[in-house]
Amino acid sequence: MTSKPNVATLYSSFASGSDATLSLIEVSISPGIPTFSVIGLCDSSIRESEGRLRSAFKSAGFTMPKGHITVGISPAYMRKTGTGFDLALAMGILFASGQLYLPTGAKIYAEGELSLGGEVKLTPGSCIRLKTVRDMDFDYKIIPQSESSSAAIAGFNGQGINSLTELNAIFDGNEYKETDFELETESSADDYLDISLLKGQEKTKRALLISAAGFHNIILLGSPGSGKTMAGKIMTGLLPKLSRDELSDVYSLYELVDGESSKITFDRPVRMIGPNTTVGRLLGNTRSVTPGELALANKGIMFADELPLYKTEVLDFLRVPLEERKVHMAKKGVLYSFDSDFIFLGTGNPCKCGQLYEKGSKCRCTVNEINRYLSKLNGPFMERIDIVSEMRSISGNDMASIYTDAPGLESLEYRQIVERCWQKQNMRYGGLYLNANFPDADIKDAMRIPDVVVKYASDLSEKGFFSARGFTRILRVARTIADIKDADDVTVEDVSEAAQFRKRGS
Amino acid sequence: MFDYTESVNSDFFYSAMMLNSDINYKTLNDLTEHNVINDYRALHNIDLLKEIVKENFDLKPETVHKVKGLIDSFSDIEKIANIYKQIASDNNIGVISCLDKHYPYNWKYLSGMPKVFYYGGNYSIVERMTLGGSVAVVGSRSPSKYAEYATDNICKALGEKGIAIVSGMAYGIDRQAHISSVNTSGGTIAVLAGGVDNIYPPKNRDIYELIRDKGVIISEMPPGQKPLRQYFPSRNRLIAGLSDCTLVMEAGSVSGTLHTASFAAGQGKEVFVLPNNIYYENAMGGLKLLEDGGNVLLNAEGVIDSVARSLMYKRMDMGCPAELYYQDQLKNDFSDQANIEALRELARVKPEVLTDENWKSIIKDSLTLRPMCADELCVLTTLPFYKVSKLLTELELNGTVCQDKGKYSLTFV
Repeated sequence: MTSKPNVATLYSSFASGSDATLSLIEVSISPGIPTFSVIGLCDSSIRESEGRLRSAFKSAGFTMPKGHITVGISPAYMRKTGTGFDLALAMGILFASGQLYLPTGAKIYAEGELSLGGEVKLTPGSCIRLKTVRDMDFDYKIIPQSESSSAAIAGFNGQGINSLTELNAIFDGNEYKETDFELETESSADDYLDISLLKGQEKTKRALLISAAGFHNIILLGSPGSGKTMAGKIMTGLLPKLSRDELSDVYSLYELVDGESSKITFDRPVRMIGPNTTVGRLLGNTRSVTPGELALANKGIMFADELPLYKTEVLDFLRVPLEERKVHMAKKGVLYSFDSDFIFLGTGNPCKCGQLYEKGSKCRCTVNEINRYLSKLNGPFMERIDIVSEMRSISGNDMASIYTDAPGLESLEYRQIVERCWQKQNMRYGGLYLNANFPDADIKDAMRIPDVVVKYASDLSEKGFFSARGFTRILRVARTIADIKDADDVTVEDVSEAAQFRKRGS
Repeated sequence: MFDYTESVNSDFFYSAMMLNSDINYKTLNDLTEHNVINDYRALHNIDLLKEIVKENFDLKPETVHKVKGLIDSFSDIEKIANIYKQIASDNNIGVISCLDKHYPYNWKYLSGMPKVFYYGGNYSIVERMTLGGSVAVVGSRSPSKYAEYATDNICKALGEKGIAIVSGMAYGIDRQAHISSVNTSGGTIAVLAGGVDNIYPPKNRDIYELIRDKGVIISEMPPGQKPLRQYFPSRNRLIAGLSDCTLVMEAGSVSGTLHTASFAAGQGKEVFVLPNNIYYENAMGGLKLLEDGGNVLLNAEGVIDSVARSLMYKRMDMGCPAELYYQDQLKNDFSDQANIEALRELARVKPEVLTDENWKSIIKDSLTLRPMCADELCVLTTLPFYKVSKLLTELELNGTVCQDKGKYSLTFV
């Protein structure tokens, strides 16, 4: 028997919210009646690891040492959850009991869940964890092979293993080999509809373009069958693909929620919610700190169908995330934040029968009914919306041509315009913001809005075109319109166009 | 000071004749039907009258008899007419005849409206009313606080929309309606039963002076004429006739207000009634109107809608909308229909030469037909949306168009 250190230390990590924390794992084995205890505010998923370890050891040809086994996981004051500690625990026990050779002074990182048969499996949140660990200095980095795509996105180097038996080769056979993980993206299917389908709806086409070009929140109101849901699918085709960094942010959250089944794609996420949505679904699970729809829509589109039918509490709740573009959840006194920077695309009927905007006077709703129907969308909520457009049902001829004509390629042209606008805005704001989410201070100077234009906008405001908060919104939209024209300064004309997209009295 | 022309002398003569001789509407109708005279002014001619008696022209015997009577009293009536003229010029009172182009449009198509009437104050309010709309506000002389409050609120709201308020300068609701509307853009119109110089009721001198200063006072009675009891129903008819719809703020079961309302209904105009407490005696007449199918007055918006509708029909009747719309606002604009056609043709062939103002004219002309949404205007003008939206914002900013139910319509002001 070689030297038998009775304490082994190594590192693993756990994710909470969108952050991960590195933790030190110490395993001590001392003689006595066999016990197994895990200390350090661990939940039952970690404490249950004893069973998995015992069985996995046996399957892989190791044995569970006899004696007091104490595992300490630090920082001990933080609550920890997840089965990703299994591999580190197992390795600690094997090192401490001398079943594996621990190179002197080696710093080891390990994560992964063990199955009873000794296989090493991925755990959700790997992308977030690996991103944190990526830049730290370790001699050995061992992760489950199935986490390779997360590792690739995180830019993490290390060795992936499939089973506990492979540890023999790494430590006893000294065959540790760090590899770069290759990023394998799924080819995006370009699953969008072309904007040319919106025949005769010039205002809405323009509204979608502006919304995409400046990342503006938008609401479309129109009769049933006017193509509101279609507009949602069109929007996906107008936005540029995710950048590498954005992909990493987006994927790490999806991986946290969906685990292995999440796809790697450069398409922007689209989250669809409907009238039965609850605050809980938007916010996420506060007990396990799992992000909800708001965080998952980050960098993409939140498509909210039939908005006027939503519960008031849901619309009220949406206000803060729409304003701050962040969502917060608190658990046991700790505040977790997720980015929720998305285009909010809401649709709805303008009144109960939906025919308010139609030609002729098909709508039989009274003024009071209309007001009641849209009352949820008034006031504070609408102030977070930059663009409102009306839609009308598509005429028979146009409808026929949608099905008979070859699909157009107008969306591609639009996307090129949007890409150009985003480049301009990235240059202007240093790459962190777009027109819609640039922080409020100094928008006048940063967006190059001359005094005369501000004066004109305030005239419009005086005449009741929009409220005080609508004032900065309209300047942002005007900035985007100027970007679409490729102009340096915002002009009066841009503001007057932007004014057409404000709902009156909001 | 007014400079009365020769034809206005005939107007004074006509008023004096109607009040002081046996000549009545029947006589006039008989004379015009037989092509003896073209209009009432011709009667101010003693030679013609004598010829009528001599030639007979197949007239009814009573007509000839009445004309004989007129010849006998001709010089007396001329004297009375001169007295009217004197009072009118002392009190700065103007005369309008149905032969004038300034005659109120609303009266033109109603029978039995005065051929000649008198006014004091700012007559432009009456002219503006043709396209800006007018609402009669009538009610009890001793109203409840509630009705008074509602009158104040609604008259202010309507006045601010450019709608003229027409009432009778009586106590109570009338008084409140005038006070609330006199300083608004719509203005206030008081129709009196007696002559324009006769302040009735006398205690309302304060608002009489206010209205003469800022509003306009109208009467079919010549200056100097005392308001007799039998003149009031006729006056109520004029109030109903002058306005596009009528608001009954509060009316007891026997009330002149109800006359006004039934005249309005008879003229095919909408009547709005302020709902009130059913145990309140003084409101029973109004509530009965509601039972009979009157519109419930809930807010100014309902009234504005009704006025807008009636203005729309009026414009259709008037035939040439462009001329009426832009008559005072846009003198240098392409105001006339032929030019609009030329512009439309140009827009089709050579759109690039048109200026923003030209496009605005086309948009405005298109909107006279019916309200349209921005998308339709894009198709119609073949302009891209950003251009149309800019034009629409400018039109909206200067108040020419407004947005409602997702469509744009002209604001009628």
